[in-house]
Amino acid sequence: MKKSVAVAISLVLLAGAMFAGGSSDTKKAKQADGSISGSKLTLMQNKPEIDAQLKAYAAAWGAKNGVTVTIKSIGGTSGGMGPQLKSDYAAGDMPDIFAFDGLESYKEWEGSILDVSNEAWVAKTSVAFKYNNKVFGFPVAVEGWGMAYNADMLAKAGIDPKTLVNYAGYKAAFEKLDSMKAELGIDSVVSMAAAVEMGWVTAHHNFNSLLSNGLAYGDLSVVNALLAGNVDAKRLAEYADWVELLFKYADKAVLTTGNYDSQVGAFATGKAAFLHQGNWTDGNMKDVTFKMAFAPHGSMAAKTDGIFVAAPSFYAINKDSKSVAAAKAFLNDLVSTPEGAAYMVTEAGMIPAFSGIALQPSGQLSKSVQEYSAAGKVYSWNQYYFTGDFRDKTLTPIYNQFAAGKITKAEYIDLMTKAFIANKK
Amino acid sequence: MNSKKEKTLIFWLFLAPALIAFAAIIIVPFFMGVLYSFTNWTSSTRADSELRFIGLENFTTSILDPAFSYSFGLTIVYTVINMLAINFMAFVLAMLVTSNLKFRKFYRVGFFVPNLIGGLILGYIWQFVFNSVIPSLAKVNEIFASLGLPENLMLGNRNTAVLALVIVGTWQYAGYIMMIYVAAIEGVPMELHEQAMIDGATTLQRIKTIVIPMVAQAFTVTMFLTLVQSFKQFDVNVSLTSGGPSVIHGGLPIFGTELLALNIYNTAFLSNNLAMGQARAVIFFLVLAIVSLVQVYVNKKKELEL
Repeated sequence: MKKSVAVAISLVLLAGAMFAGGSSDTKKAKQADGSISGSKLTLMQNKPEIDAQLKAYAAAWGAKNGVTVTIKSIGGTSGGMGPQLKSDYAAGDMPDIFAFDGLESYKEWEGSILDVSNEAWVAKTSVAFKYNNKVFGFPVAVEGWGMAYNADMLAKAGIDPKTLVNYAGYKAAFEKLDSMKAELGIDSVVSMAAAVEMGWVTAHHNFNSLLSNGLAYGDLSVVNALLAGNVDAKRLAEYADWVELLFKYADKAVLTTGNYDSQVGAFATGKAAFLHQGNWTDGNMKDVTFKMAFAPHGSMAAKTDGIFVAAPSFYAINKDSKSVAAAKAFLNDLVSTPEGAAYMVTEAGMIPAFSGIALQPSGQLSKSVQEYSAAGKVYSWNQYYFTGDFRDKTLTPIYNQFAAGKITKAEYIDLMTKAFIANKK
Repeated sequence: MNSKKEKTLIFWLFLAPALIAFAAIIIVPFFMGVLYSFTNWTSSTRADSELRFIGLENFTTSILDPAFSYSFGLTIVYTVINMLAINFMAFVLAMLVTSNLKFRKFYRVGFFVPNLIGGLILGYIWQFVFNSVIPSLAKVNEIFASLGLPENLMLGNRNTAVLALVIVGTWQYAGYIMMIYVAAIEGVPMELHEQAMIDGATTLQRIKTIVIPMVAQAFTVTMFLTLVQSFKQFDVNVSLTSGGPSVIHGGLPIFGTELLALNIYNTAFLSNNLAMGQARAVIFFLVLAIVSLVQVYVNKKKELEL
C-alpha cells in the first residue's frame, strides 16, 4: 500500500507541475501608483526580417523601465500572423500589442483594439490607422512600391526615367529594352511574379494600381464602386493593358513558377531592368552596385507621377491587456526617444512614419520612397478594403491564369468583372 | 482481494498521465471541434461574432463550394496515385536491400533518410529542383532542350504539378514503408524459398507465390499508412505548390493543386472562416475513417495465417 501512496503523491506533484503555468497570473502585483515597472509586455508582429533588431531594442527598453518584454515575430504571407493570434485569443492569451494590416483585419479584431486617439505620437504622423475619426493603429513604418528600375541600364539604353509615367511610356521603354536584351545582358525586361504563392504581388500590390493610381490620397471612389459591383470598364481595360504588358515582358519561368528569391534575384543580379516590388527589397540589395529608384506605375493612359506609399501594418494595443500603460509607454518611446528612432531607422532600416526624426534609412529604394513622399507624389494602398479571401482565393488564380497564357486579355477582363459583381455584398 | 484492488489502482495511476494528455489534446478538442462546426465561430472579436448555432449551414455551403468538391476529387486522385507509387517503390527497394546486394545496409539507411527531413523543407528543396535544376539540364545537353522551356516546367501545369507532389511524396515516404516490408520479407522462412528453388521456381515466381502472400500482413499496415498519409498531405503541398497553378473549374479560376488539408487550412485562415474550416475537417474525418476501415477490412481478408 505504501508504494501506491508514493505513486499517487508523485502523480499529483506531476500534475501540479503541469498545470502550474496557468496560476502565476493571479499573483501579479497591482500597480496602483501608475508605475509600469514590474509589468509584463508581449508584442506580436508580422515582420520576421526585423525580429532580431526589435528584440534587441525591446530588451534594452525593458531593462531601462523594469518591464519584461516578449517579442513574437510570425510573418511572411497574408495568413502569417492571423492563425497564431486566433489560437492565442481562443486560449485567452492575447498579446498586449499586436500588428494588423488594414481595415479588414481591423474589423476582425474590432472588439479588442484600444482607442489611442489621445496618445502623444498621433500628432506626429499622417498615416495612423483611423476608423470613424478615432485612431486605433500605430504605423510601424512607411513602405512604398512602384516600378523599381536599374538606372544604369536605362541610361545605357538611352531611356529617360521621366518618360515612365503612363502606359505609352512604359510600352516604348519595354520594347526598346527587349530589342537590346543581348547588349544589356538581360534575360527579360521586367522581373514579375504571378505564381500562386506570389499572389501578394499580383492580387495585392499590382491590384492596387486599379484601385488608387492617379487618385488623390485616400480617395475611395474606385474602391467603393467596385465593392458595390460597379465596374468602370474603361479603367479596368487600361489596367488590363498594363498587366498584359508586365506579363508579356517578364521572364516566363520566374513569372509562372518563381518565388520571392528568384524574382528579386533576377533584378539584383542585373538580369532584368525593372522589378515589381517595394522598398523592403533593400535588404536583398546589399551587394548591388548599380543605381536604382522607383518610377510610377503605368496602369493608365493618362500620366501619373506618384508611387504607392503607406504604412504596411499598425500596432494595436489590446483593450483587455493588464499592461495597457506599459504598452502605451513602449509605443510612445519608439517615437520620442533617440533610441527608439535609431532602432526604427538605423537598425531595422525602416522609413519612419513620424515627423521629427532626422535619421534616414540607407537603402536606395527606401530613399526613393522618401523622396516621393516628401514631394507629396503618393497614392494610397486601397487593397486592404477587399477581404483576404477575395484577393487570395478569387483574384490570385485569375492573375495566374492570365500569366500562364491560359486565358486572353478579354477573358481576364471578363473574369475580373464577374469576380467584382460576385463579391458585391 | 485487497492486493487485487491495489493492482487496479496502480494500473490506473500509471495510465493516468497518458490518459489525461490524450484526453486534453485529442478527445476534448475533437468533440469541441465537432461542436464548433455547427456554429459561426471565428475566434476573433468581430462586431457580430457572438457564438450561435447555425445548424448545418457550414456543411451545406462547403458541399456546394466548387473549390471544395474539386479539392476532394483531386485528393482522391492524388491518394490513389501516391499509394500505388509509394508501395511499388517501397516494395522494389525492400526486395533490393534484402537481396545479396553489396552495401545493402548502407542503402537501407540512405533510402530511409528522406523520411527524417521535415515536409516543409523537402517541399522547398524540391521546388528548387523542379524550377532551377531540371531546367538547367537544358544547357547541359541538347537532348534535354525541351526541359528548359518555361511552359514545360513541372510546377507550371496542373497535371505535372500533381505528379511532382507524387514524386516528392514517394521520395519522402518510400523509405519508411520499405523498412516495414524489409521486416516482413526477412520474416519469410528460408525453407519455403529453398523448397521452391529445388522445384525450379524462378525469382519472379517466388516473389509472386511466396513473398507477396507471406507479407500480406505488412500490406495491411503499409496500405493504411500510405492511404492516411496521402489523404492528409499538407506540408509538402504548402511548400512545393501552395495550391498553384490555377485552373478554370466550372467557369471559376481556382487553385489547381489544393489538396483537402490545404483547402481546410485556407478556408479557416485565408477566408477567416474557422467554423467552416472545422465543418470541412469533420467531413474529411468521416470520409477518411470510412475509407480506411474498408481498406483494412479488405486487406485483412487477404492475410495468411501460418
